[in-house]
Amino acid sequence: MRSHIIGTIFRKEIREVLRDKRMIFLIILMPFFLYPVMFTLIGFVGKNQEEKLSTEKVTVLLNPEAETTPIYNLLKINPTLDVKLESFEQTALDTMKSTIGVLVGEGFQSSLDSNSSATVTLLYDASKDLLETRVDAIKKSIEQLNQDLLITRLSNKQLSQSFIKPIDLKEQNIAPQNRVVGKIMGRFLPMLLLIFIFTGCIYIAIDITAGEKERRTLQTLFTAPIKVREIIAGKFLATYAVGLVSATMNVLSLLFAMTIQVKLMSDGKSDMAFTLPITPEGWAWMILIVILATAFMAAISLAVVLLANSYKEAQSYVSPLMMMIIIPAMMSQMPGMELTSSTAMIPILNISLAIGAIFQGIFNVGHIMMVVLFALLYAGVALYIASLTFGNENVITGEKVKFNALFSKK
Amino acid sequence: MQSLIEARGLSKDFGNLWAARDVSFQVEAGEIVGMLGPNGAGKTTTLRMLSGLLTPTEGEAFVDGHSMQHAQLEARKGLGFLTGDMDLYRRLKPIELLTYFGRLYGVSESTLKTRVDKLVEAFSIDEFSSRFCEKLSTGQKQRVSIARTLVHDPKVVILDEPTTGLDIMASEFILQFIRRMAKEESKAVIFSTHHLDEVERLCDKVLVIHAGRLVYAGTPGDLNAQTGKNTLADSFFQLVNA
Repeated sequence: MRSHIIGTIFRKEIREVLRDKRMIFLIILMPFFLYPVMFTLIGFVGKNQEEKLSTEKVTVLLNPEAETTPIYNLLKINPTLDVKLESFEQTALDTMKSTIGVLVGEGFQSSLDSNSSATVTLLYDASKDLLETRVDAIKKSIEQLNQDLLITRLSNKQLSQSFIKPIDLKEQNIAPQNRVVGKIMGRFLPMLLLIFIFTGCIYIAIDITAGEKERRTLQTLFTAPIKVREIIAGKFLATYAVGLVSATMNVLSLLFAMTIQVKLMSDGKSDMAFTLPITPEGWAWMILIVILATAFMAAISLAVVLLANSYKEAQSYVSPLMMMIIIPAMMSQMPGMELTSSTAMIPILNISLAIGAIFQGIFNVGHIMMVVLFALLYAGVALYIASLTFGNENVITGEKVKFNALFSKK
Repeated sequence: MQSLIEARGLSKDFGNLWAARDVSFQVEAGEIVGMLGPNGAGKTTTLRMLSGLLTPTEGEAFVDGHSMQHAQLEARKGLGFLTGDMDLYRRLKPIELLTYFGRLYGVSESTLKTRVDKLVEAFSIDEFSSRFCEKLSTGQKQRVSIARTLVHDPKVVILDEPTTGLDIMASEFILQFIRRMAKEESKAVIFSTHHLDEVERLCDKVLVIHAGRLVYAGTPGDLNAQTGKNTLADSFFQLVNA
């Protein structure tokens, strides 16, 4: 293979990409604006929702018999509850907006006085977040009352609180905060990263293969004194470069948006700093894996979309390919799923698990090396299939390329 | 004298159809050969086999003495090929496109600059050189396409229906250029067209292909003499309707 020919093809493809406004928007501008806007919007909506949940008043209907009980006083002091003493039917509650029914059982006070249990029933629509929040607050208040009454009862019997709690169980999270952040990031970032890389690769791959077939420019290239492998290498490098730029832009924009969001949420509190438990060695592995993952994605994108005869047909391959990436990436988040010598061989899943492990700061170098080797192997296989497709006569003449014909001898 | 183009028993089987069957002919330097035939006769398949885009099921094609099957890169260096199925890169400007293909054909940087300048002048590309190819008119695109075919100064030029879709002025410009190029630079030209008048005016020899077979190879005058007709059009119809 001649490097100057590959370089010429690569430069031409990149020049065309840089002149394509749609591609520039997809690769650079969209990630640059998407995440800051998305995070600001989510933060704004979330804050509004939180404010609404904490301040909006909810009507509480309490049966009149409860007026003399401590429950009435307990509910009255809550400023987010509008307590009304009136009889009600359960069916009537369904038609009322933002209303909770509280039924205090008959003989409430006498039951308490005789050291028995009194009944309080809460009636509400659990499908409404606001009512659920208020019910939680009511339950907390009643639980506190319960606790106070229990202490009184124990004291009357001259028993200490430890009498009803033989074992006092305590737990403490010893993980540093950055490891917790790493765990959260390690769960969703690998999938996002793989999607970013794929999106970056697939559209240029379509443009320079099926798009060229449709625009009838591919034949011209095949009449030049160049080898199929040189064409593939030039186009692969262009797809790879765009995929890498796209992934980098997406990740930088995402991290920037997250940092800003965390800073805004922390409101000056130092314990909410956004740090990750990744060592310099971890970063080095991460970069290598992302580079190889991009090579694999670029190769597989080329191999698949080359089978298409038109832009439209190639676009119909995007969703199934995306599924092939999302499903293994999601599998990597299943409980108990971790990077082992077996999972290190499964394409996509291995990359997702490796990135997740590096984010958490806990990884086995042997397993990561296996991921690197297998990512290289799969990229090579995908490129080989792409070269078989490109070498097929039907690609040149614009006919449909049959997948099984690629492996049959002419 | 060695032929610059030689087709030796070229045949192509597409599984359920022999698109070309045992097609043999030669083209010498300085000759313009018109290839005629109805749609689906096998002209494009034959030209694609000559250019190496299709591999013949049987037979072999030679360009400037190099086998298109066994020494493809060498053979392609001497060939300029253009068919109606080829378009230009949308987001390249004409000079960028010519330079790109010049480099792919291995033309040295110093020669390439001179060559591109010459073609830009010959085809009056300067008038629209600042525009991207997607913004060019059909005639301008065809001028750039032919310039692209010639950027590496090939000894053999194959043009498949180069005047299709062009107005009379653009067609005339291209026909005159082909004539000058073949005669002044001793190139071997195969020129496929449906316009019999163009063949009559331009070509030294005619190849008539019908149902995948070469049914006539010779001068237009000999064809008229053979069929007893006065015009190439009448001779052609008699040949393909026989």
